Amino acid sequence: MRQKALSTVYKLAKSNPKVLFIGSDLGAGTLSSMREDIPDQFFMEGVSEQHIVGFAAGLAQEGFIPYVNTIGTFLTRRSFEQVSIDIGLHRLPVRLLASGGGMVYAPLGPTHTAIEDLSLMLSIPNMKVFAPADAFEMENLLTHLVNDEDPHYVRFGKGGETIVTENYPTFDLKPKFFGDKSSEVVIFTTGVLLQHCLEAQKLLSSNEISATVVHFPYLNELSVEQIDSNLTSAHLLICVEEHVPRGGLYTQILHEFVSARMPTKNLYQISLPNAFSHNYGSQADHLDLNGLNSVKMALKIETLLVNHS
Amino acid sequence: MTTNYIELANEIHLDVRSKKLRLMVLHALEGGGRGHLGPAASLIEILRVLYDSILVHDPSDPFLQKRDRFILSKGHGCLGLYAVLADHGYFPVSYLEEFCEFDSKLGGHPERATLPGIEFSTGALGHGLSVGIGMAIASRLRKEKWRTFVLVGDGELNEGSIWEGAMHASQHQLGSLTVIVDFNRMQASGDINSVITLAPIASKWDAFGFEVTEINGHDVVQLEQVLGLSTDTYGKPRVVLAYTVKGKGFTSAENTTTWHHKAKITRDEILNLRRELMT
Repeated sequence: MRQKALSTVYKLAKSNPKVLFIGSDLGAGTLSSMREDIPDQFFMEGVSEQHIVGFAAGLAQEGFIPYVNTIGTFLTRRSFEQVSIDIGLHRLPVRLLASGGGMVYAPLGPTHTAIEDLSLMLSIPNMKVFAPADAFEMENLLTHLVNDEDPHYVRFGKGGETIVTENYPTFDLKPKFFGDKSSEVVIFTTGVLLQHCLEAQKLLSSNEISATVVHFPYLNELSVEQIDSNLTSAHLLICVEEHVPRGGLYTQILHEFVSARMPTKNLYQISLPNAFSHNYGSQADHLDLNGLNSVKMALKIETLLVNHS
Repeated sequence: MTTNYIELANEIHLDVRSKKLRLMVLHALEGGGRGHLGPAASLIEILRVLYDSILVHDPSDPFLQKRDRFILSKGHGCLGLYAVLADHGYFPVSYLEEFCEFDSKLGGHPERATLPGIEFSTGALGHGLSVGIGMAIASRLRKEKWRTFVLVGDGELNEGSIWEGAMHASQHQLGSLTVIVDFNRMQASGDINSVITLAPIASKWDAFGFEVTEINGHDVVQLEQVLGLSTDTYGKPRVVLAYTVKGKGFTSAENTTTWHHKAKITRDEILNLRRELMT
């Protein structure tokens, strides 16, 4: 996904001299072709995240479209004030490309795992927050929104995710539906967990439980008016996200459902805990531990359905 | 080094124009009943010289493409900037009276979205240099000739982001960038040396790859000479350490933290400050 995102930035930059890439001490080979081909549009700065965000804001104020890439936690935690003031307050088209969303960097420990990034970014006025599900959607997003005037935060997955969004060849800000709209279960998700949710959908189907998966690649406004009465009359609604329990997708859903007077009685959540993990291992280990892989998800849904019946 | 400059800064007698701009600051201070007087009074001559003689700018076209960019990174010095901009006709002088009112265009820190002539909104310290570096690179990428000036406070140099920016300005050989330090030796909680010393400040900037000049920040002629030197797109970025007096021109506000920021300012206090300025 990261590879696709960076190659898309290169492609966009080739045809648009306003598009710039700014990295913060990334690996030596990062976009080496772009560096050689269009060196004026490529910046590899030091380990100075506060600086690169302000730097990008200055460039954007002068009409450029900077794509800033480094580890998500550094963009969100380290540079929060620069992101909020230099980019958010000035409403500048800086793109924050956040490597390692959720537990991707689990082996590197809690300093590197982006468990509250969506919450932080969603709290900033003017910031548009995205969590695409695969490389296909990533390319669509970056390409279609290149001239959008707002700042963006884009959460990356680990990479190599199965492509599941090919039925949505253009990118818009609406939710993406997978499955029959009159299902017993509706699963809300965002980002790379879509793949796990679609696997869970298959497992449930083999047990004759119908489930619809709704993926929100854009998290600021969920367009819940598109979630019709069939969906809201399902027996069970469940929000699945690789994020701390509050401030992410579940909070957004609650906010919009309550505002629209839509029912939340049957709404549940599976998420990361409200805690910094002191375990390492892999992202998959943490998804399993927290019930976020397809098997655990399907089991949880089956249990909830039994309790509801 | 600095002793001499500090003495000189203290000894400078303000001319009519400098006093007029300070009266405009008092006008806003009275209107708002609050404000940062000390940090504004120290930078009046720097701003006056920039806008009178150095910057390419047009008050009738604040976003003129070829204008030089100026960022007041120490946003709390905005009363000085408001006075200079109003004096140049960027907006009516009557705006000053509305300082900090609910629907005023003049807030306690400067905002690009509300006031013509403000290049970038500041207030949280340590932001302006990196933004200015982005602008300077933009000028280079567009092959344009405009320059970038960033005014920072000495207390602001406590912010780590300033030094991140300094390293990068040097790495990019941003000859078109000028950093001016309003070195008034006082920060909110006291003398900078009692908080966190910056010495040896000239050596520090030199070590970070800057061309360093030290001047009396209230000496208009010296400011014009130094800031007026030509610059190249590529080359060492430069820093001007402008030694100033916090509260300059107002005896009771000079070299004290009392007037760093003050609320509930009374009419008598304003009258007293005016008297001090004019005697």
